[in-house]
Amino acid sequence: TETIKAVVIDGYPAKAMWVDEFSNFFIPQVNERLAKTNNYKIDWQESYGGTIVKPKGVLDGIKLGLGDIGIVTTVFHNSKLPSQSLAAVTPFVSVDARVVAKAMDEITKEFPTMEKEFSKQKQVYLATGVVLNTYQIFSKERIESIKDLEGGKVAGAGIILRYLDGINNAAGVRGGLTDFYNMLSTGLVDHAMLWPEAAKTFKIAEVAPFMLKADLGAVNSKTVTANSRFWKKLPDEVKQVIQEVAVEYRDHIAEIAMDRAQESLDAYIAAGGTVVTMSQEARKEWADSMPNLAAEWAAGLDKKGEPGTEMLRAYMGKLTAAGFTPARDWAAGLK
Amino acid sequence: MSNILVQGTNKLSRIANVTAIIANTVGTLMVLCLVIVVDYDVIARGAFNKPFGGAVEVVQFTMVLIVFLQLPDVVRVNRLTRSDGFLAIMQPRFPNIAMWVRRFIDSVSAILMTLIAIAIWPEFVEMFETKDYFGVPGVFVAPWWPIKLVIFLSASLCALIFILKVILAATNIKLIRMDEMKDKAVPSGEKI
Amino acid sequence: MSPIEIGVVSVIAIIVLVYLGLYIPVALGVVSFVSIWLMRDDFELSMNLLKIAVGDSVMEYTFATVPLFTFMGLIVSKAGMGADIYEVMNSGFKKVKGGIGMATVGANAVFAAVTGSSIASASVFAKVSVPEMLKYDYNPRFAVGVVAGSSVLGMIIPPSAMLIIYSFVAEQSVGEMFLAGVVPGVLLAIAYIAAIWLMGKFTPNYVGGKPATEYEWMSFKEIFSKTAPLVTLITVVLGGIYTGWMTPVEAGAAGAAVGLIIAIVRRKINLKIFWEALIETGHITASILFLITAASIYSRMLGLAGLPNELAVILEQNQMSFMMIMVIYVCLMLFLGTLLDTASIILIVVPLFLPLIEPMGLSLVWFGIITVIGAEIGLLTPPLGISCFVIKASVDDDRISLKDVFMGALPFAFVMLIVLILLINYPVLSIGILH
Ligand code: NA
Ligand code: NA
Repeated sequence: TETIKAVVIDGYPAKAMWVDEFSNFFIPQVNERLAKTNNYKIDWQESYGGTIVKPKGVLDGIKLGLGDIGIVTTVFHNSKLPSQSLAAVTPFVSVDARVVAKAMDEITKEFPTMEKEFSKQKQVYLATGVVLNTYQIFSKERIESIKDLEGGKVAGAGIILRYLDGINNAAGVRGGLTDFYNMLSTGLVDHAMLWPEAAKTFKIAEVAPFMLKADLGAVNSKTVTANSRFWKKLPDEVKQVIQEVAVEYRDHIAEIAMDRAQESLDAYIAAGGTVVTMSQEARKEWADSMPNLAAEWAAGLDKKGEPGTEMLRAYMGKLTAAGFTPARDWAAGLK
Repeated sequence: MSNILVQGTNKLSRIANVTAIIANTVGTLMVLCLVIVVDYDVIARGAFNKPFGGAVEVVQFTMVLIVFLQLPDVVRVNRLTRSDGFLAIMQPRFPNIAMWVRRFIDSVSAILMTLIAIAIWPEFVEMFETKDYFGVPGVFVAPWWPIKLVIFLSASLCALIFILKVILAATNIKLIRMDEMKDKAVPSGEKI
Repeated sequence: MSPIEIGVVSVIAIIVLVYLGLYIPVALGVVSFVSIWLMRDDFELSMNLLKIAVGDSVMEYTFATVPLFTFMGLIVSKAGMGADIYEVMNSGFKKVKGGIGMATVGANAVFAAVTGSSIASASVFAKVSVPEMLKYDYNPRFAVGVVAGSSVLGMIIPPSAMLIIYSFVAEQSVGEMFLAGVVPGVLLAIAYIAAIWLMGKFTPNYVGGKPATEYEWMSFKEIFSKTAPLVTLITVVLGGIYTGWMTPVEAGAAGAAVGLIIAIVRRKINLKIFWEALIETGHITASILFLITAASIYSRMLGLAGLPNELAVILEQNQMSFMMIMVIYVCLMLFLGTLLDTASIILIVVPLFLPLIEPMGLSLVWFGIITVIGAEIGLLTPPLGISCFVIKASVDDDRISLKDVFMGALPFAFVMLIVLILLINYPVLSIGILH
């Protein structure tokens, strides 16, 4: 038996769901399958929670060889990994983490763009991780449509803030996840864009007892990658096992994300929260108010000579084929 | 011959020092800029419902400028954190040994700064070519390359100042820390 | 070499080099660089470690708290707010044995709530409170000891540069760290006052001093005008953070602006002082953040070596008790405290002990308070005790030697140790406020 050393890195702590599942699902699965033939054995060194890199540093850490395998949080790298925002720029389509994860994974494998972006960072794509089902709006008062968001302040982070671009006088306020409770309780903001699990963890029901079930959609935020030099040296058998497990890991954490979302929603209601379902017309109204983020995204890639438009079309096609009706067809009007 | 060399070194030393002082002044203005940007965001958000979307990126940017524009000056005035108890004891009894220890210390520091400069340079080149940015597109973005450039220039200047310290190793070095404490509300940089 | 061996050897190398007088960030950086190079036999990996650590360590948004609170503290000191609060306290305590000492402690505790630095406290109070005590025939050693001891409150009661530094290393919220520092800081101030009372009772000669014959109560108006500016600042800063109206970064910026406005209104500042404060702020920020950057190279090196993983295994096998770890921890901090400054101690020991503390399910916020107070004892101990140096330099009185300052500070260092033990045993004192 040949032993191969592998350093796994993430800046998030070991208790984060996707890290925990990497430890307790991904690694044991790989070990088990390698043990069957007993040709190879991996000696894993797991370094999480800032011991080697911070959350934003995983991409560079893998690139520079400080880790062999890592879980990259793609939302931090709009510039180096532009194509990873595909799910984020197509809101109001699907709230099923499993479907979005699968579609993203397939797009990665069918089009060269995403893998090219990773290979520029000297790493190999292994799996997509979708760890939350959907953003919703948590408010101090009962709200039903974007009329109620006008002139209000909405806490959020990253590209999600652009969902507010078409709403009259609505101001997006950036904040870290841990700040949202305080921001709401002091009235610094009136609403917050969060997913149910975060709402439960940070006891949002206490300060924002109304959830507008807008179902903005599941978004991919994690990618498992391996350092190219490390990957090239791996025996084919090991590569194959890791790739197999990567797909299972993708479905496994999406499944957990869905379960947790439901539990969290129940907990939110049990803690005194009220869920108001946004009507289809109101959702459509919001979606139509937005600038065409998806077209902007596709145009940006097209300009670089990448098949942005085709990727967007293919992605929308996959989700529609899976039975989802988008509130707005982001691919409509593309040339 | 050696006279010319000494004069040249002295001249270079003056240039390095003046550059450090100018960089320091710019860095100092960045402190003011930081206060203004954050306060502007707080007021604009609280009073006018118009938060400044780029507050985070601008703060990150100014932090890099503050640190790396001022670092050469910190090195110049010997305020980089150190524990000089041993040197203080050695100085009166074995001034020669103390001087060589100082030269050793400054050489090691020069090497580290040079390594940092060498490590950062290709990053700068890459960022300059790819025009990579940080932030959220459509909200606020800032380019990476100026940051890498400032770090590179700062590390290079620090290395140069350390090398000059090795060459010019003054024999009459005092306990800087004690000197600086007189009539200053807050002395030595490292321990606020 | 095993990771443990590399860890041990590198820590020893760092300590030796630092004691020799090498700049602390340079020692951390060079030793880490060489360790990785030797461990993996890969020069490029060492360069990459430098690249990633230098590139992203400074880019942290919360780092902005360092210059902002430093600037606020400098402006506040220069505006004479420390002296004001001292006068108010003094009018209340003067009659008691050791009263001026108690007033100094009280004033320091309040002043601490607007400055992040022990150095600022030490230099301000050495100038206003020591001469006053000498005027009333207090024992010089006692006088300087009180100022030295109470100066550490500046870095325990929030805002505090050391709590900020810890929160970076341990990835804890700055806001929570600040709140957790309130009760321990107040507790330490009370312990100091109690210790002074006991000294006055049992060793009156050591304290010295004659009762004040003429003293007047301050008028309400006077008290108000001397305390209002500080109270305003404390409300803005701590209130802003506590209620969540502002993040610590924003509170720092607001505090800097309000402090500046107060100083201008009271005509205590001119362009020259303003510029000096800015330059000073920049120097302090650069040296602290460069130190943090170097420390992050060091802790990443330990991570790459797999030291945290190994330590966790050792802990599991040996069933090391909580008490045992704490005793080792406190002793190590006291040892390093003889020569190193507080920030360096925190940056060296925390990465070593976090992997031991975290799996035990202990609060990392509590651990931060323990760390900061433990490391600050070193401010008072010879041969290198920063607070004592500052006091010696600020008092500028030939009758008081550096030795006097250290001897005077010793009883207060001892009180700190007792409070530290108390805080270790009763975590609720630190983290109770968070729930
Ligand atoms: Na303080
Ligand atoms: Na000491």
